[in-house]
Amino acid sequence: MTIRRLPETLINRIAAGEVVERPASALKELVENALDAGATHIAVSLKAGGRSLVSVHDNGCGMGLSEMQLALERHATSKLPDDDLSLIKTLGFRGEALPSIASVSRLTLASRPREAAQGWRIVVDNGVAGAAEPCAMEQGTRVSVEALFERIPARFKFLKSERSEQGLCLDHVKRLAMVHPQVRFDIETEGRSLFRASPDMANGLARLASVLGPDFADNALVVQVNRDELNLTGFAGLPTFNRGVADHQYLFVNGRPVRDRLLLGAVRGAYQDFLARDRFPVLALFINCPNSFVDVNVHPAKAEVRFENAGLVRGMIVGGLRETLARAGHKSSTTTSTAALGAFETGTSPVRASGNASGWGHHAPPVFTAQMSEMSLAYNAAPSGRITSITAIEAETDFPLGIARGQIHNTYIVAEAKDGLVIVDQHAAHERLVHERMKKSLAEHGIKRQVLLSPIVVDLDEATAAGLEDRSHELAELGLVIERFGHCAVIVREQPAMLGQTDISGLIRDLADELASYGTALSLKEKLDSISGTMACHGSVRAGRHLNADEMNALLREMEITPHSGQCNHGRPTYIKLGRTDLEKLFGRR
Amino acid sequence: MKVTLERAALLKALGHVQSVVERRNTIPILSNVLLEATDGTLKFTATDLDLAIVEAAPANSVADGSTTVAAHTLFDIARKLPEGAQVELVAADGRLALKAGRSRFQLSTLPKDDFPAIADGELPFSFMLPSLTLKQMIDKTRFAISTEETRYYLNGIFFHVTDEAKPALRAVATDGHRLARVAIARPDGAVGMPDIIIPRKAVAELRKLLDENQGDVKIELSSARIRFSLDNAVLSARLIDGTFPDYSRVIPTNNDKRVVIDASTLAESVDRVSTIATDKTRAVKLAMDNDRITLSVTSPDNGTASEELAASYGGDALDVGYNSRYLLDILDQLKSSQAELHLSDAASPTLITEEGDTSALYVIMPMRV
Repeated sequence: MTIRRLPETLINRIAAGEVVERPASALKELVENALDAGATHIAVSLKAGGRSLVSVHDNGCGMGLSEMQLALERHATSKLPDDDLSLIKTLGFRGEALPSIASVSRLTLASRPREAAQGWRIVVDNGVAGAAEPCAMEQGTRVSVEALFERIPARFKFLKSERSEQGLCLDHVKRLAMVHPQVRFDIETEGRSLFRASPDMANGLARLASVLGPDFADNALVVQVNRDELNLTGFAGLPTFNRGVADHQYLFVNGRPVRDRLLLGAVRGAYQDFLARDRFPVLALFINCPNSFVDVNVHPAKAEVRFENAGLVRGMIVGGLRETLARAGHKSSTTTSTAALGAFETGTSPVRASGNASGWGHHAPPVFTAQMSEMSLAYNAAPSGRITSITAIEAETDFPLGIARGQIHNTYIVAEAKDGLVIVDQHAAHERLVHERMKKSLAEHGIKRQVLLSPIVVDLDEATAAGLEDRSHELAELGLVIERFGHCAVIVREQPAMLGQTDISGLIRDLADELASYGTALSLKEKLDSISGTMACHGSVRAGRHLNADEMNALLREMEITPHSGQCNHGRPTYIKLGRTDLEKLFGRR
Repeated sequence: MKVTLERAALLKALGHVQSVVERRNTIPILSNVLLEATDGTLKFTATDLDLAIVEAAPANSVADGSTTVAAHTLFDIARKLPEGAQVELVAADGRLALKAGRSRFQLSTLPKDDFPAIADGELPFSFMLPSLTLKQMIDKTRFAISTEETRYYLNGIFFHVTDEAKPALRAVATDGHRLARVAIARPDGAVGMPDIIIPRKAVAELRKLLDENQGDVKIELSSARIRFSLDNAVLSARLIDGTFPDYSRVIPTNNDKRVVIDASTLAESVDRVSTIATDKTRAVKLAMDNDRITLSVTSPDNGTASEELAASYGGDALDVGYNSRYLLDILDQLKSSQAELHLSDAASPTLITEEGDTSALYVIMPMRV
């Protein structure tokens, strides 16, 4: 067997394997090119979810004929003017996308720069370029990719259904649309519009709302942090506005959408105290940093990046988000009150529902079956709500959560605020207040550490042990004192006294995994928090406890000044607020 | 089977065996107690496959026989019967009829042949211990048994014999934060016995039986099983199959600072000052100075508490923090004697013994406060 140089088409196909995985990745490359060309309007058209056609039409700077021919060759790009990979300002830079796509599809490239009299068109059929011919077109570039992977059965077989390929295409473009609010985007498939975003010249929230849904705008907090040369902006959703999957976290580094474990871990760490383990926040964060600070040349599809100082970035995200959430104070999401509104029945008349759906009293005689069912005492419990004496809300007392008007079922406090009606879950609210107080005192006084009688040796692999050793000072702050023990083990000398008797080696292994993938010691924090959470639960006012007016008002006032009091420890709201307009809507006054 | 016995005798025997039976079982027969009537006695057997108790109660047996019936149900019935009642048990046709006064119960049964037989195998080592001695060994160590399941070899009391100058039988328990060790003179017959770990549940059941036992307890063991024969009951248990760590390394030998103080006085003070500790850790600080101990607790919510006690101490001033519950557990074992604390510094283990008596010793690890 002799060694030979591979033909160019084969090289392109191999490169295509890395860059072009499916229609969505081809589309991403093309839209990125359009953005790099300075387009202000990008129109995407798909057929069969991109399987038979992906076409991108932009009004960017365009290319002349010689440039077009060069662009179809590998490693040809306009994007690295200084030949310096450490200063990448554009989305693309590898110069691989176009030839790679062209090698696995029938690609039509048409372009006209502003000053040229006419446009040119080149068709490349699976790596074989045809002759250039003049064509009529406006300024910009149009790239159509037809029959992607048609000649590569190995890829073609693994394409998903039209619908899911289309969803992926949409997702990629939406991510880019989020970070370029000033660019107009249109996506259509077979004459039907899938996504349309008009330019948003303001802060970009309107654009995010068009991608993430209108609810996001109402429940987002502005994030704005600067640290040295780093800059974090964006919008973070309130903890009560959460989702069951982590898909709705959009992170961008220098205008580049990324899915980086470090960044996702930092987000999880920031929200960790406000959400149950299986709930995830919705947010869009934009990190801007000097190009030399970040290495984007890590991943062929550029989904991962590397930071020069990962700790600084993580700290900025966690700190920035926590501060933002703390500023929100007791705010709880509007969707909860919308859901509450939806739950109200516009009752026809307050007739007690009878067991019979028809409403007409065909009551079957009660039949006793052999199986005894638990019989409840049907004593028609009188409503236990109580009313506190009505005092007019004075003008100078502008309490966001209002003045307590009564307690229902000994569980919920009803308060009247200037701008609406507030209903508070007394147990959830008080639990959160106690939890916040305990967290504060832990932060002030430190975590007490129990020294172990016999230190516990935990065997790990060498890299993990080294990783833990590097972060040992951080763990010590959380009450876990570890030392390196030989090459492949750590030794635990002290543990947080709060944990009592616990599976230390299991904890250490979890921590090592998390430090490796997320960069934070989440599970230890979560464990400590869950203990203080349980204690908070036992130390707080239960549902069913009668509260008098002063107690209720005191609770409301404390909620107003305590950060994070809008959600309980599991991300559920502690109160809902129905605005005056909501009430008017309920009664058809609006 | 037809047998009559006093309600008190039934209740006592069931009380001992029913706690062996787990509340929830995947094997139905394990929820049952085996009743065996043979001339003049009714034998109760309950097991969870690891642990088995056989207890005999005096009964008037009209017809010998045996059956099995739900242990907790029978116990609950016995508990609620009036005092002094005569209970008649008749097993026939897959049911057990229970008659007492005007109450009648028909309980469903499972065939006795399904009841697992308890095979102890050969138990080559055997010795006798007075009830009181065994009771004390258990009491002084069981509080330190670990409840954390991953280090299963700490979930019991470790018994072993030593051949040092004075041959001894030692009982040791630790949870990684504190340790308790009791030693008694080695009984005859224990020479060369294997090191064993008696699981927590067996210890708890044995302790209950010992309360009402007068005579000596016969202990027979192999490296896998142990059997305790008491006056009316026999408890046999599977031992924990594991290696107890070499605990002798954590018992400090050159702690030079020595404090002597009345154990119950110290315990009461610790208990008093730790009232204000709200968090789970309940840390109490002991400041030792010239013939004086100052106890203090600081709680961010409640404020502070301190108490000064006279004690005999001659070393340099020293501050040490402990988990107050751990400290109280140990002081409770010393009762009203003088406690002797041997300290080195705030991060090294503290040794606590009764003054002048090292048969029982306790080690507690300080807390960083």
